[in-house]
Amino acid sequence: MNSLQTETRHIRPYVHYHCGCPDVNNPTTSIESEKEEETFNIYSPGIHFSTFPISKLYFCDDCHQIRCPRCVQEEIVCYYCPNCLFEVPTASVKSERNRCARNCFQCPICQNTLSVVASSEPQPTPLPISPTMPTVSATGAPYYLSCGVCRWDSQEIGMTFEKATGLALQLQKTEDERPDVKEFDHLKDQFEKHLRHNTPSTTLPSSLLSIPGMSMNSFSSRYGNTGLAHAQQKSDDVEKYEAAVDKVEPESGLVDDLVHLTDVNQITTLTQRMNQLSDQPYKVERLQPQRIHLRTKRVKRCRSCRHILIKPEQKAQATRFKIKLVALKNIPKITIASLPKLILNQRTQIVLKFSNPLYEEISVDLTIQEETNECGKVTILAPHFNITPYNEVLEYEEDLISSRRAAKADIGIYEKRGNSTSIILEITPLAEVEEFKFPLLVKYTSKNTENNENDGVTTEEKSSEETNSSKAVASDEISADESNEITKSLSFWTVIGLGNVIKAPAGTSGTTVKGPRTEPSGSKGSSSRGSSSGNRSGTSNSKS
Amino acid sequence: MEPPIVYYPRSEYIETDTGNKVSRKSVICGSQNIILGGKTIIQTDCVIRGDLRRTGGGHAVVVAIGRYCLLAKGSIIRPPYKTYKGTFSYYPMKIGDHVSIGEGSIVEAATIGSFVHIGKNCVIGRFAIIKDCCKIEDNTVIPPNTVKKDVLKFYANSSLSFLYLGVFVDELPECVQDLYELKTKDFYIKFQPKDS
Repeated sequence: MNSLQTETRHIRPYVHYHCGCPDVNNPTTSIESEKEEETFNIYSPGIHFSTFPISKLYFCDDCHQIRCPRCVQEEIVCYYCPNCLFEVPTASVKSERNRCARNCFQCPICQNTLSVVASSEPQPTPLPISPTMPTVSATGAPYYLSCGVCRWDSQEIGMTFEKATGLALQLQKTEDERPDVKEFDHLKDQFEKHLRHNTPSTTLPSSLLSIPGMSMNSFSSRYGNTGLAHAQQKSDDVEKYEAAVDKVEPESGLVDDLVHLTDVNQITTLTQRMNQLSDQPYKVERLQPQRIHLRTKRVKRCRSCRHILIKPEQKAQATRFKIKLVALKNIPKITIASLPKLILNQRTQIVLKFSNPLYEEISVDLTIQEETNECGKVTILAPHFNITPYNEVLEYEEDLISSRRAAKADIGIYEKRGNSTSIILEITPLAEVEEFKFPLLVKYTSKNTENNENDGVTTEEKSSEETNSSKAVASDEISADESNEITKSLSFWTVIGLGNVIKAPAGTSGTTVKGPRTEPSGSKGSSSRGSSSGNRSGTSNSKS
Repeated sequence: MEPPIVYYPRSEYIETDTGNKVSRKSVICGSQNIILGGKTIIQTDCVIRGDLRRTGGGHAVVVAIGRYCLLAKGSIIRPPYKTYKGTFSYYPMKIGDHVSIGEGSIVEAATIGSFVHIGKNCVIGRFAIIKDCCKIEDNTVIPPNTVKKDVLKFYANSSLSFLYLGVFVDELPECVQDLYELKTKDFYIKFQPKDS
C-alpha cells in the first residue's frame, strides 16, 4: 500500500471490533439486542458507538469477553498536575479547586505553560527568556509570569509576585474575592448546612466523595433516596436563599466598545473566554492566567465481574500498569495487509492478516453474514485456518521476509509467518459507495495443550475453568476433552472498512493478488464473475 | 493497515554491528559524541548535530538515541542551548527506545522518553521534555521549556495566527506502549536493502 493511495482515499481502511456491551444495554431490550447480535446490522446509526479499534478494547479474563470503554467502570486512583507532575492528595483536590496549587499557570492568550521570571535579574536559572523581553517596569515586586510562546507577561495586567514559589497561594486572596467564587461558596454553605441535619448518613464509595466542589453525600441523599418520603418533604422547605453578591453588572460601555471595534485582535477569542469561565471577558486586558487543571489516573473494572482490567501505578511519573488486560494481548489482531483499489463490478482480492498474541495455537473460523450485502459480494476462500502460537524468540528472527513461503498448500491462505496467518478475501463491489464495509464474524478456539504434561494441574485448572464457564455468556464455551486439552473459544463481530469504490476506467480488468507482497496494481486477472473458480485456481497456482 | 516493505538502495546505507542503519546522505556531525542504541534507522537528509557540545573540555555524550528509533527523511536533531550565568552552552539530549520522528521534524528537546511518536513537520522546542508514551500529531509546535506527560496526544491547534501549538487532545489507550513497540520493530524488519 503506497502512501499516495492512502492519501487519496477519504476514509482510511480499518478493522473495528464489535463489543456487545451486555451490561450497558437495557435488560428489557436484551432480547431485541440479541436478535440484533445475530444479524449485526453494520448500517445502524449506533454502529460507531459499539465498534472500536482493537487498541481501545480490553479483555476480561474472568468473563472471557471483550470489554469496550463503554463497559468498564472507572475509579480515580490519583490526581496529578501534568506540568510539575506533583501528586495531589485526594483530600486537598477539592480545596484547590481541581487545579495545580503550586507554580503552574496557563497563558491566558495561547494556553501554553507560563514560566516565572524575576524582573531585577537579567535571567533566572532554569528559565531562559529571550533577549527581546521588555525591560522591567518599576512595580517593586520582583517576579512575574511570562509566556515563552506569545511573549505575554503578567506585568501587562499588573500581576507581580513577592516570592518565586507558591504563586497560587499568593493569588488565593484575589481568587477568593471573585464574585462567582463567593456566590458558589455561599450556596454550598447554605445547602450543606440544610442537608446535613435532615439526612441520614449514606455511605458511598470514597472515590465518589472526592468529586471536588460537590458534597456527594448530600447530593445523593437529596436526589437518590426518593423512597424516604419524610426526608424528601423535609428537604423541600429550604430556607429562603439570599445571594451573597449582588448581580454582577456587565462591563460598562462594552457594547459601545464592541460597536466601534476595528481590530479583531482587541477582543478575546472563544477559546480564551472558555478558559476563563468565571467572567468570560471580551477585553484582552481582563484575561488572567489560569492555574493548570489536574489530571487523573484511573483504575478500570469490568462491569460484570468487577475484576480490575487496568490498574496504573500510583506514581504520577510512572507509565507502567500493575494490571493491564488489553484486547491486543488476548484476541487475534486483524490487519489489512494488502488492499488494491476497489473497482465497481470487478472482483478484487484483499489480504487480511490475523496475528495470534497467545502462547497457544488457535484455530479461527470466519463467517460472513450474507455473501452479498448493500456494498457488494464478499467471499472467504479459507474460512477455517490455524495460527501458530506467539513466540518471543521468533521476534528476534529477522530473515522473516525470506522465510515467508513456508506454507502455500492451502487454497486461500496467502502466507503463514511467525504467529500470523494471512488469508485472501474476494471482494466484488456492486455499488459505487463512499465506503465499502462488511461485517465478519470471527470465532477462535485456543487449545491449551501444555496441561498434558501435568495431570494434577490440569484437573485443578479444568475445574476452575468450568466454574468460569457457568458464569460466562453463551458465545463463550470452555470444555475439556478426553486428552485433557482445554479449549476456549470466543466469537466476536468485526466491521472491516475498505475505503471507497471507484468506477472502472474503460478497458481495464480486475486486479488480483498474485505472489506474496506483490504490488497489487500490476497483475491483471479475469474480470468476469462467472470465471471466478478458474481464476481462484490460477491464483493458487501462481503462488506455488 | 499493514505497512509495506520499504526498500532502500544497499549502497546508500551503512549498517553497524548493532544493526543501526545510517544513510550516507545524512549529515552526522561530531559522530564521536553520538550514541545509537542499536537497530535505529537514520534516513536520507537527516541532520544530527553531535558537534554542538557543552563548552569546556572533555569527552561528552551530546545525543543519546535508544533502540528501534526512526529518524525519517529530513528530520533534524539539534541539542538545546541556553545562556546560563552569562555563558552560552549547549546541553545534551536524550531520546529513549521505540521513538519515531516524522519527516521534516526539528527536535531540540532536552529529553524524549520511550514509545513516543512525533509526526511530520513538527517542531519540538528547546528544553522541552516529552515523557514516555506520547503521540505528537503532524505539524505541531511544542514550545520551549514545556513538559508533556505520558499517554497524551497533541494535535495541531491554530490558536495563534501562524503557530500550531501543542495542545492536549486525548488520552492514548493503555496498550500504546505495545503498539509503538510493534510498529517500530515492524518498520525495522521491513526496512530492507535492495541491489539496484
